[in-house]
Amino acid sequence: MKISFSINGQPQTVDVEEETPLLWVVRDVLGLKGTKFGCGKAACGACTLHINGEAVRSCSFAVKYAEGANVTTIEGLGTNENPHPVQQAWVEEIVPQCGYCQPGFMMASAALLSKVADPTDDDIDNHIINICRCGTYYRMRKAIKRAATIQNSKTSNS
Amino acid sequence: MGKKKFSRRKFIARTLAGSGGLFVGLSLTGYIARNPIRRQINKFVDEGESPYQGDISDPMLWFEVTADNKLTLFSPKVEMGQGSFTSLAQIAADELELDMSFIKVAHAQSGTGNLDQFATGGSTTIRGLWQPLRVLSATLREMLKAEAARKLDVPVSSLKMEDGKITDGSRSLTLGEVVEGVEEWVVPEAPAVKDVTEYTRVGKPVPRVDLNDKVFGAPIFGMDAEMPGMLYGAIVRSTRVGARFMGADTSKAEGMPGVVKVVLEQDFVAVVAASYTQAIDAKRKIEPKWEVDRSWTTGDIEEMITVGKGQPYVIQKNGSPAEILNADGVYTAEYRSPIGAHAQIEPHVAVAHVKGDQADVKMSTQVVRITRDQVANRLGIDKENVNIVPAFLGGGFGGRLETPIATYAAVISKAVGRPVKCFYERQEEFQNDTFRPPTHNVLKAKLTDNGSIAAMEHNVSSGAVAWGSPMLPGFLETVLGADLGAWRGGMIQYGAIPDFQAISWKVNLPFATSWWRSLGLLANTFAVESFMDELAEQAGKDPVQFRLEHIQDNKAGQRLKGVIQAVTERSGYRDKSTNGVAMGFAASTDAATPVAMVAQVSMDGSEIRVEKVTCAMDPGLSVNPDQVKAQVEGCIIMGISGAVYERMYIEDGQLRPVIYGPYEMARMKHAPKEIDVILLQGDENPGAVGEPPLGPVGAAIANAVYRLTGERRREMPLSQALA
Amino acid sequence: MKKVFWFFSFFLFLLLVSPLYSNLSSTGMVSAKPPPVNTAAELSTSSAIAFDKMMDVLTHQRCVNCHPSDNVPKQSEASHAHRFDISRVNGQGATNCNTCHQASNNLYSGVPGAPDWALAPHTMRWEGLSRIEIARSMMDPATNGNRSPEDIMHHLTEHELVLWAWEPGVDAEGKPREQPPVPKDEYIKAVKEWIEAGAIIPEETVN
Repeated sequence: MKISFSINGQPQTVDVEEETPLLWVVRDVLGLKGTKFGCGKAACGACTLHINGEAVRSCSFAVKYAEGANVTTIEGLGTNENPHPVQQAWVEEIVPQCGYCQPGFMMASAALLSKVADPTDDDIDNHIINICRCGTYYRMRKAIKRAATIQNSKTSNS
Repeated sequence: MGKKKFSRRKFIARTLAGSGGLFVGLSLTGYIARNPIRRQINKFVDEGESPYQGDISDPMLWFEVTADNKLTLFSPKVEMGQGSFTSLAQIAADELELDMSFIKVAHAQSGTGNLDQFATGGSTTIRGLWQPLRVLSATLREMLKAEAARKLDVPVSSLKMEDGKITDGSRSLTLGEVVEGVEEWVVPEAPAVKDVTEYTRVGKPVPRVDLNDKVFGAPIFGMDAEMPGMLYGAIVRSTRVGARFMGADTSKAEGMPGVVKVVLEQDFVAVVAASYTQAIDAKRKIEPKWEVDRSWTTGDIEEMITVGKGQPYVIQKNGSPAEILNADGVYTAEYRSPIGAHAQIEPHVAVAHVKGDQADVKMSTQVVRITRDQVANRLGIDKENVNIVPAFLGGGFGGRLETPIATYAAVISKAVGRPVKCFYERQEEFQNDTFRPPTHNVLKAKLTDNGSIAAMEHNVSSGAVAWGSPMLPGFLETVLGADLGAWRGGMIQYGAIPDFQAISWKVNLPFATSWWRSLGLLANTFAVESFMDELAEQAGKDPVQFRLEHIQDNKAGQRLKGVIQAVTERSGYRDKSTNGVAMGFAASTDAATPVAMVAQVSMDGSEIRVEKVTCAMDPGLSVNPDQVKAQVEGCIIMGISGAVYERMYIEDGQLRPVIYGPYEMARMKHAPKEIDVILLQGDENPGAVGEPPLGPVGAAIANAVYRLTGERRREMPLSQALA
Repeated sequence: MKKVFWFFSFFLFLLLVSPLYSNLSSTGMVSAKPPPVNTAAELSTSSAIAFDKMMDVLTHQRCVNCHPSDNVPKQSEASHAHRFDISRVNGQGATNCNTCHQASNNLYSGVPGAPDWALAPHTMRWEGLSRIEIARSMMDPATNGNRSPEDIMHHLTEHELVLWAWEPGVDAEGKPREQPPVPKDEYIKAVKEWIEAGAIIPEETVN
C-alpha cells in the first residue's frame, strides 16, 4: 500500500504493508536510524517520534496512520548548527552515556516543552516515562529545565 | 602499576601500505592468576591490576595517521556509555601535545589483530590503558618529532606540536607531511612520559567526544549497522528454563510473504525475510519443539540459593571466628536478593556476512575476541578470517559478555549466502538473559562488652557469575573454587575486627547467570552494610563511628575512612529522621575503589522515595571528573532500580516478567532530585569507576527506611520486601 | 466486578461529540427525566434478563478498566494499575493515551487501540459500583454527559470503542485478551431491548 507523509519537512511516499510499524519504515525504508528499537511494545519509549507535533511511540504506530501526517524524528528535531533547545540543553548538560535511549527522551521532552513552557518536577515525572538503563535521569531533568529556559529566551527575543 | 615498564619489543611501527600513513602499536601482557595461592589470588582479583592479557605478537593499542592530518586511536575496549573514548582521547592529546579535535578514538576491528584478551568490563578500561596509552602516545610523539627534525633539518629540541602540526617556529609540517615517504621508523628507547601535572586535559571535565553523535541521532550503534543486500533473520528462542531444542515444524512459515528461507539447525530455528516485520510474521508460524525436564519455580531456586547448600569456600579469614561465633550472644541476620535482568535498551544485535571462509560481523559486543573465536569455531574457519566490527553499545552492563547472536547471524548468513541482521525481541531478552544470580547472605557477629565487633562471619550463597564464562581460563575455577564474581563485595572490609571470615557458597542454577554491572557487589554490600547498621544499633553506637572503629589503619583503610568522613561531613549525616526524611549510610570497597554514600529517603505511603544521595568516591586520579561523576550518578540510579524495584521470578518454568513495566525499573520519578558527588584522589593513577558506586546504594536506602519506619527490610527489591 | 467498558468509550464519545450532542438536545431528543425505577417484581422478565446480559458485559474488565474510580486506568484481566503510572493527569499532556494507543489494535506491539481511545471522565466512574449503581449513573444525564436513553443506546451498540471489547486483540506476549462473557450480537440485542422497554433499573439484581 502507498502511504504519503512528510518526514522532517520532506514529502515522502512509501509502498509498504499498511500495518508495518512506522518505526521500521523510518529506520529500514527511509534509513533514519536515530529512532531506536528498544522493546517493540511501547514500553520503553526509545522509538518516540512526533506525529503532527505529538509524541508517539512508533513501534506501536501502524504506518497507515501516518498518511498525510507531519512526522519528525530526532534527525529533524534540530541539527548541530541549529539545535532544538532540548538538544542544546542535552549537549550543555552532557546527558548521554550509552546514548541509545536518548533520542526517545529528547523527542518526549520536546513534546513536553511544546505544551508546557516551564515544566515542574511533577510535569517531568508524569510525562517523561521512558526508560534509561544508564540512569541519566538526573541530568535529563536538569537538561529539560535548561531547555525550557533556552526555549523561553528564544521566544521572548523573537 | 605506574612504574610498569614496557619493553621495546612490544612496540610495532610500520608505514601503512598505500596510504603512506604511520601505524604505531603496543601490546600488553596480563597478570591474572599469576599467583598460585588461592586466597592471595582472590585478594589480587579484588584489588589488583586490571587483567589484561595480550598476544605478544599483536598490538593492543594503536594509532594511525589519517589522510586528513589527524590521528585515529584504535581502542581494544568498546564504548558502552562509560565515557572511556573521551578519557582515552584526553590522555593521548595531552601526551601528544595535540588538541583533542586531532584525535579520533575508534573501535578496533578484530580483523586488524588489535584484540583485547579480556573484555570491556570490570571497570578496567581506563585503569588498564592509562599507562600503556601514555607510553604509546609519548613514543609516537617522539617518533614524529624525530622524523620532522630530519625533514626540516633542525634539532628535535627546537620542535614543538602546535595546532596539529610540528613546527620549529618558522616552518611547520602537518602530521601527514611528517609521515610521508618514511620507510623505516626508529622507535625511541625511552620516550619521556609527561608528569601528570603537565597535563592540561587529563583531570578536566571536558565534554564527551561522542556527544554530538548521541544528541543528533547518528547511526553509531550495532542496531544501526547495515550491509548491502541485507536480509533480516528472526531466531526462535525458548520461553522455558532448561528447554532443549528438538526441532520445529516450519511448514507454515515457508510460504509467508517476504520469506527467503527457514534455517533449521540442530540447536535453533530461524526465518530469514526481506524485512524485519516479515521475518517476525513468519516466525510466529514456526512451531518449535522443546524438551523440558522439569517446570522450575522461584521457590525451587530460593531453596537452592540457601547458605549451607552447595559448595563452601573460605575466601577471607582472619583469626578463628568460628569458635567465637559458636558461643551464646551471637547476633545473626540474613538477607536475600532476587534474579536481576540486564535490561539494556538496545537488544543483542549482529549483522553478519559469510562469504566462503570469510565472515564479517558488525555488532554490539563487550568481548570482541571471544565473539570472534565463537563465530570461527561454529563456522569451522580460521579466527583470522572472522572480522568483528564493534559498534557503540546501546548499554552493556555485562549483558554483552555473552554474544551467541553473532554465531546465529553468521550461520544464518551462510545458509542464505547474503548479509543477515539478527536481533532479539524484548521477551527473548528477558527470558534468555544471562541474569544476575539471586543471593542469600547470612551474617553473624559477636560484640564485646564495650560494643566492638569481636568476631564476624559473612556467608554468601549465589549462582555463578564468573565460572563458566569464556572470558576466564577454565582452570581458574579449579584453582579458586569460589566464584570471584559472586563474592564481589562479600569480603569484610573492616580489617580491625580481630576474628572474621567470609565464605562463598557455590550453586549451579538451571538458567544462565553471569556478570551484571558490579557482579555480586550490590547484593553483597546490601547485606553487609545493612548488617553493620544493625550491629551498630545493638552496640548502641552511631553507625558511622561504629564503622570507623573497625577500619584498619593501612592505605586501603585510610582511603575508606577518607570517603566516609567526606560524605558524612558534606551530607550532614544524622542518625535519626527529621520531618519524615531519614538518612541512611553505607560504604564499600570494590576493585580498590572505596565509596561511601548517604541516601536521604522519605516514604510516600508505602513507596520509597530517594530524595537525595551524597556520594564520596576515591577512584584515584579522575581522568575526566565529569564523566566519573556521570558514572556515579548512573550507578546510584541503577542501584536504586536494582535494589528497590527489579525482580525476575519463575512461574510455570518461565522466567518472568517479559517486558519493561512489569519488570519494574527506576524511572525519572524515582531518580533523586539531588545527587552530590565528591571525588577524592588517594592514588596517583586512575582506578575503577564504572561499578564501585553501585555497592552502597541498596544498604544506604534500607538503613534509611529502617530509621523512618522501624522496619528492617532484608530483601531486595526493597519496595516489595514488606515484612 | 462492576465495570462498564463502554463507559469509557462513552465518555470519550461525549467529549468528542459534545457539539453534536448540543444539537440533539436542542431538538428535544434528550430526556432530562431520570429513568423510572421499579421493584424487581414489577419488571417484565425479559427486561430483567436483558439488563443482566448487558451488565455482564458492562461490568467486565474490558469495559471497567477504563472507567476507574481513582483516575488510574487499569490493565489486563487482573485489572492492575496501568504500568508506568499512567493516570488522568496524562490526559492531553505530552505523554497521553495516543502516545501508545491508536485507532486499532497494533499487531506487533500488542497495544490495544480503537477510535477515540481514552479514559472515561471521572463522572462516569464505574469501578467498584454495583450493576444498579452503574445503570443509574449511566442513565442519569447529570453523570452521563446529558445523554438521552436513545443516545446511550446508540453509544452502547454502535461506537467502535465499545465494540472493541469483542475484538480486543492480543497482549504484549501475543496472548488473546479475554472478551466479555456475552456474544456481541446478544449484547446489542439486550441493550436495545432494555432501553426500548423503558430502561428499567431493577431494585434488586444479583450482581
